[in-house]
Amino acid sequence: MRIEKHPILTFEKGETVTFTYNGTVYSGFKGEPIASALHANGVRTLGHTHDKHRPRGLYCAIGNCSSCLATVNGKPNVRICVEPLTKGMVVTQQNGRGVLKND
Amino acid sequence: MIKTDVAVIGGGPAGMCAAIEAANAGAKVIVFERNLSLGGQLVKQTHMFFGSQKQYASKRGFDISKILRDQISQNKNITVMTNATVIGMYEDGVLTIEHDNKYKKVLPRATVVATGASEKFLPFNNNDLPGIYGAGAVQTLMNVYGVKPGDQVVMVGAGNIGLIVSYQLMQAGVKVNAVIDAAPRIGGYLVHASKIRRMGVPILTSTTVKTAHGTECVEGVTLVKLDENWKEIPDSEFYLPCDNLCIAVGLSPLTELMWQIGIEMAYVPQLGGYVPKSNKNMQTSRPEVFVAGDASGVEEASSAMVEGRIAGLNAAKFLGFKTTDTDSKLADYFEQADSLRSGPVGEKIRAGLKLAELD
Amino acid sequence: MLEKTGIATVEQIESVTPSAERRGKGAIAVCECFQNIPCNPCYTSCKFNAMKPLIDINDRPEVNPDKCTGCGICISNCPGLAIFVIDETYSETEALVKLPYEFLPLPEDGTFVTGTDRAGKAVCRAKVVKVLNTPAQDKTPVVWLAVPKELSMTVRCFKIDDIYSDNTYLCRCEEVTLGEIRELIRKGYTSVDEIKRISRAGMGPCQGKTCRQLIMNEISKMTGEKIQDMPVSTFRPPVKPIKLGMLAQSEDNDDE
Repeated sequence: MRIEKHPILTFEKGETVTFTYNGTVYSGFKGEPIASALHANGVRTLGHTHDKHRPRGLYCAIGNCSSCLATVNGKPNVRICVEPLTKGMVVTQQNGRGVLKND
Repeated sequence: MIKTDVAVIGGGPAGMCAAIEAANAGAKVIVFERNLSLGGQLVKQTHMFFGSQKQYASKRGFDISKILRDQISQNKNITVMTNATVIGMYEDGVLTIEHDNKYKKVLPRATVVATGASEKFLPFNNNDLPGIYGAGAVQTLMNVYGVKPGDQVVMVGAGNIGLIVSYQLMQAGVKVNAVIDAAPRIGGYLVHASKIRRMGVPILTSTTVKTAHGTECVEGVTLVKLDENWKEIPDSEFYLPCDNLCIAVGLSPLTELMWQIGIEMAYVPQLGGYVPKSNKNMQTSRPEVFVAGDASGVEEASSAMVEGRIAGLNAAKFLGFKTTDTDSKLADYFEQADSLRSGPVGEKIRAGLKLAELD
Repeated sequence: MLEKTGIATVEQIESVTPSAERRGKGAIAVCECFQNIPCNPCYTSCKFNAMKPLIDINDRPEVNPDKCTGCGICISNCPGLAIFVIDETYSETEALVKLPYEFLPLPEDGTFVTGTDRAGKAVCRAKVVKVLNTPAQDKTPVVWLAVPKELSMTVRCFKIDDIYSDNTYLCRCEEVTLGEIRELIRKGYTSVDEIKRISRAGMGPCQGKTCRQLIMNEISKMTGEKIQDMPVSTFRPPVKPIKLGMLAQSEDNDDE
């Protein structure tokens, strides 16, 4: 799902890093939003709603709509459409509202 | 408390131009940008801009963004704070911000609100399925991060955004199955429409979305034809497959901050919804607060840049920063704004601006 | 109707079509910009003052046929990609259409593509004469297509997929395509020998074993002439490539 060649644009890509999403290892480019890396790996359903369990994905991709909340490194309710990817991130799907765990 | 002469909220085309003008007039400026870099939606625009040379006509949006960013980085009067979202605006003029995950307060002597707009949504069955994206999201994914939003798209909306994004999708190697619009006529520039039509993409006017299909992700869409009164024509439903349904039905100005301090607002559908009332100088009912770009009413980026220049220059002037060419520059910008809105396609904007005029 | 479909009407196209007399004189720009929008790069980019001055920035462009040289600078400068250059003096039967094309892959010079109209419908085969893609075009490459002359005001885009198989190789040895053979037949070269002499098809190491029949088939298809009625090509030895040294060392030099 990555654009390999573009007639107008060239894409600056960071170093390739791996991260996990629901336990599965994926790779993406450091610094790109988590949701963009997931999308490039074909993951478009990012969670389910708390009440009616409807599937949820991106809508705005610029941090407005909060349709993409996920738990990142244990921190719930992160807008992964704007959260930069870093090496070894542990991302988990949120089904319903996020839960903050006490260690 | 951070102090400055002028705070510019938003680093898109309007905000960048406002900052440049205010700083050139002598004011100390801080630009607050919620993203990690300046440019706003300009960085996603791969098409050449309309207008005249003064608004960088024939240059592509992302190239214009580079020009403005360079001017800002070379200007000693401008400080840029990225990853900084203004989250509150208060009666006493204080702005509260979230900057790199820290809460901070700012006290500017004047403020330019250039917060832009957010995408409108459309009500239809299953409109919340993953794969149904706003046009801005599609642009962000493919033009900033180089990720295809899907393999085959149905575009909802034949305004300029819908037409431009359809063209950009094809440039990214994505198939566009159709562009539809409920209106009986194409709303965007006809040259944009012809560009995608001659690539073989059907443009279906008087057509709207009835239902999206899919379980975990959108897989197709049922469309329906409308008569001249915008009523559904019985038995005219038809199905198109798609794994991305792109919604480009317009933008609404982002005005929350201005509501918070009681700035006088007006509901102007021609400008996208509620907008702050302002005078020719882009000054709101709070004399120290100026507005520019889509936040003052949704228009083209060319006008946003001119409005930014007017707002920045006037914010500086309001604080006493005035140079020998302030007035001649202003006269030029007013003329540019008028000229961009002067033709038949500017009619709606002109009508809207009249309703948003501050008495 | 343009406002409903994005396709300009016949009347609109007629209103911007240069006169037959002017078309007969050489290349000229055609501005298919039918809406008053605030935009003027067509006027400001022209080095020959061939665009009538836009008094109001919303005015529609108008080409002065006496001043326009058909240079095509305006093609890449028009934000609406609505300017094309046509040249009906390109050849006796063909016109050149120069159009903006911002997609990948770009076609290669000399290949054949499918010419399409304003609705994206295939209308003819078109030869890519040139692809201009220098910094001057600033990422809006200009593609020169040779199309049947009567379609100079019809072809406005193209598809890389070659529905007419013009890029198919008929002569493998000399790399001559079906499109090139067809072009020669259209120009009046209607025998295998004529085509061989002008294109080298059939002059390679296989001596025409692979392509001769295919070329005859194509001549027959295009001219209606039956293969049995066509002059066959001249056959000369050797029927396979041989070494010159072998001839020189021949033990059988009894000519004298």
